Amino acid sequence: MVASSAESQSAVFASQEVGNAAYLDRHNLQMFQDGRSFSGNERDKLFFNRGDGTFADLSDLSACDSPNDGRAVIAFDADDDGDVDLFVHNIQRERHALYRNEIGERYGSFLKLRLSATSSQHEAIGATVTVHGPHGPVAQVLTRGAGFSSCQVPELVFGLGAAEDAEVEVRWPGGSVESFGALAAGSRALLVEGAGTPRPIAHRPRPLPDPLPRGLKLGLGDRIGTVALLTADERLEQVDFASISGGRRVYLNFWASYCAPCVAELPALQALHASGEAVVIGVSTDAPADTQRAHDLFEARGARFPCYFIGARPDPERGVSSLESLIDLERLPIPTTLVLSAEGAVERVVRGPLRAE
Amino acid sequence: MPSSSRVVTALSLLLVAGAAAWFLRPDDAPNPPDPRPAPPPAVEPVPADLVLPATIDLPDPDPRITDLETVEDKSELVADWLLDFSDKLRRRDFSAAARWFSPRFAGHSLAGLAVGGEGTLHADARKRTWDAAGAPIVDRDRFLAGIEELIGPWTRMESVLWKVKGAEFQAGGGERWGKIKLFLHMTGTRSDGGVSAIGGWAWLRVAREAGLWRIQRFQLTSLAETWHEGPLFTDVSAAAGVAHQGLRFGQPGNQSFAWNGAAGGDVDGDGLWDLFVPSDGRNFLYVAQDDGTYADQARERGVELPDAGTGAVFFDHDNDGDADLVVGHIGWCAGEEGVGGRALALYENDGTGHFEERSAALGLTEPVVAYSLTVFDYDGDGWLDVFACAYGRVAVEHNNSWIEANNGAPNALFRNLGGTGFEEVAERAGVRGDQWSYASAAADFDADGDVDLYVANDYGSNRLYRNEGDGTFRDVAPQVGVTDIGNGMGVSWGDLDADGRLDLYVANMSSTAGNRILGRLGDEIDPEMMALLRKLAAGNTIFEAESDGTFRALPSSAGGVNASWAWSVALCDFDLDGRLDVFNTNGFVTGDLPHDT
Repeated sequence: MVASSAESQSAVFASQEVGNAAYLDRHNLQMFQDGRSFSGNERDKLFFNRGDGTFADLSDLSACDSPNDGRAVIAFDADDDGDVDLFVHNIQRERHALYRNEIGERYGSFLKLRLSATSSQHEAIGATVTVHGPHGPVAQVLTRGAGFSSCQVPELVFGLGAAEDAEVEVRWPGGSVESFGALAAGSRALLVEGAGTPRPIAHRPRPLPDPLPRGLKLGLGDRIGTVALLTADERLEQVDFASISGGRRVYLNFWASYCAPCVAELPALQALHASGEAVVIGVSTDAPADTQRAHDLFEARGARFPCYFIGARPDPERGVSSLESLIDLERLPIPTTLVLSAEGAVERVVRGPLRAE
Repeated sequence: MPSSSRVVTALSLLLVAGAAAWFLRPDDAPNPPDPRPAPPPAVEPVPADLVLPATIDLPDPDPRITDLETVEDKSELVADWLLDFSDKLRRRDFSAAARWFSPRFAGHSLAGLAVGGEGTLHADARKRTWDAAGAPIVDRDRFLAGIEELIGPWTRMESVLWKVKGAEFQAGGGERWGKIKLFLHMTGTRSDGGVSAIGGWAWLRVAREAGLWRIQRFQLTSLAETWHEGPLFTDVSAAAGVAHQGLRFGQPGNQSFAWNGAAGGDVDGDGLWDLFVPSDGRNFLYVAQDDGTYADQARERGVELPDAGTGAVFFDHDNDGDADLVVGHIGWCAGEEGVGGRALALYENDGTGHFEERSAALGLTEPVVAYSLTVFDYDGDGWLDVFACAYGRVAVEHNNSWIEANNGAPNALFRNLGGTGFEEVAERAGVRGDQWSYASAAADFDADGDVDLYVANDYGSNRLYRNEGDGTFRDVAPQVGVTDIGNGMGVSWGDLDADGRLDLYVANMSSTAGNRILGRLGDEIDPEMMALLRKLAAGNTIFEAESDGTFRALPSSAGGVNASWAWSVALCDFDLDGRLDVFNTNGFVTGDLPHDT
């Protein structure tokens, strides 16, 4: 049986009868209210241009590949360090995401260009800027509204690789082409139509703040009160971090048996605890079924400081909070160690192993 | 099933993935799917007498189930079941993960493989492949221990996905089993802050044992790891003050796909880039502060309401030197009155970053079912005009074709009358269109001095409106080769091959289910139709500008285009190496359940 194209087409057009819009609306929303996904959990994509006509998909490695449902994106230099950061608008949950570019400086220098037209509307929308970079002339257009429902800032960033400068020309709206000569790498410039030479723009560094680890629900200075935790033999303990400190700092270490760097640092944590300089408390984030396994591993590595496990019921009425109120078990990278003051306030967050503590 | 209706089913599934199954299936579906399988409560030990085979052999089911809907139902069932398994692995809950396996399981280990090769992917991103053919054959417990060993160095699991890419099932009344083509993928954070990803392909034999699906065999085809030392990007949303937690999609107050635009500009003239984000309930205006954070000042600066905006653009509508703001609203989820769209909202900047809405006074009263907005001076009179892409009136009328719908709402082009008002001229200018338009981007692609406009349409072909220089446009998409039939969602111009010419990147929707179904339809459809269907499922397109004014679509094998259900796209040089790269947002709707359609 082979359907001809015409037959298929007419069948396709006939299918509109089942596309009753109210039906669609009703079922679409019902489906989502039921918690189902529809092409969900797709991770945003970052493709790097290899320069040989192909692209490398580094999305997985990018850490800007959120599985949230992304729509608009603004790609701009938010901190004026010369590389392009990303703002993404998602349709739900963590609606607004700002990703700081960490690699630009590693691979090359830049030109940052703004435009001002004189023979047409001053914003020069639609102007094409060409920078003669290390791999040839690269053209970008100044837009106001492109992508999907996205309006980019009126500034173009060009990468220069290792080049020390690059020739810049502008095709202004109206069609005139103007050369601005060679601009030195790292230039921030306003190109005014007819001026022929670039005007420098002041560097306005505003470093974007470093984040605390994802999954940590506490900020620096927050106090940890009494937390419900389980011992290895599944006894409930209400751990009061201020009272167990004995006037010393408390190192609250999150680890798991499946985490190789965590297991590797257990002896160092034990040494710190045994020195008496600080109190070390371990919390294993292993699934409850793996508590015994984690406990056995803990002891086998010679660790003797108190270690607790997840799964305890909190008692909020008596001021006993859950571990989950401090951390998101699924999102916190481990090992993570919170360094607490003697009063139980978060002084410092150590990501990864303690190293030279 | 006659093949024409088979094509309809395939197309519908292809175009709107499984939601089409909801539309097409009558309320009293005659063939209810199998009940969703639950994992068994306890893990049986691996039998002491288990003898591991010398090789892992996986014959195809024979005879196999051929009815498209039945096999799709089963595939989806197994796919959901493996997504639940993925979730256990992501939590590194290996005890729970064991319940997905037969106690008599035998398969190739993922650990202990010889390195087959190592090389550079791009810049400092590296790739290592393992020799899958030499993988040791192990039992269930050693298989899981192998995964644990493989991902042990990671400080955080980012994602785990065991995805069904193909499935065939045994027909007849005997053992119920299937052969699954599996894509497995795991990512995690390294202790140096970089990310590592392990991906591979395998075949699974899954079968019903004592009423439960279980994995019996695992045959590894390929396995590779990619990684980058140190991070490429860092999520600083919370630290920078822009981490707004929204309602789950589908809840009252968040029922539109569309309230998700964003605009960047300098509202207060301090030289720092601010962000306007239309949203449900209220809008956001993130004003950049010197300390690297943002302060939401939508209320005090007068752009908090009306909510439910779509596209937004900063531009100087009255040429007084500051950034004014225009916002589209499709309206159709806001109730009956919004079905035909709503007027654009124009906020006039007073020069200090405070806004006053002046839409009605400026003649912006015409309702538009607006998504993306693009601002440019189409007639070269020195005043910026506003083009609004209009989609369809979804609440009252569905698209009349999956391939070339022509019952979309009309686009609007608001001509700027010297800063004192706007008049709608889309018809006169030739850009009204009857497509379901999602996105537009303006550029002088033919370098003739006036600014042209590309419009990406859902359910059909796209338009390249060439500016004729006399206040009108002419669609030249077919002549220059950029119609890109499909489900257009986003578009950007940028020179991707460093030849000084603006290339075109079109973001399209593509679905895993669609591609899977196409694979099954095989020879039953005529080649012309098949080619069309394949295009509809193919994903994004890169059109490279040629020296003769036409465009050439890059083959998808060149990469850079496989972004699933893509939306927006930004073409920027993220690594500053002198070549433009590609960032795509994507994903339709993610529910709380791991299952997908």
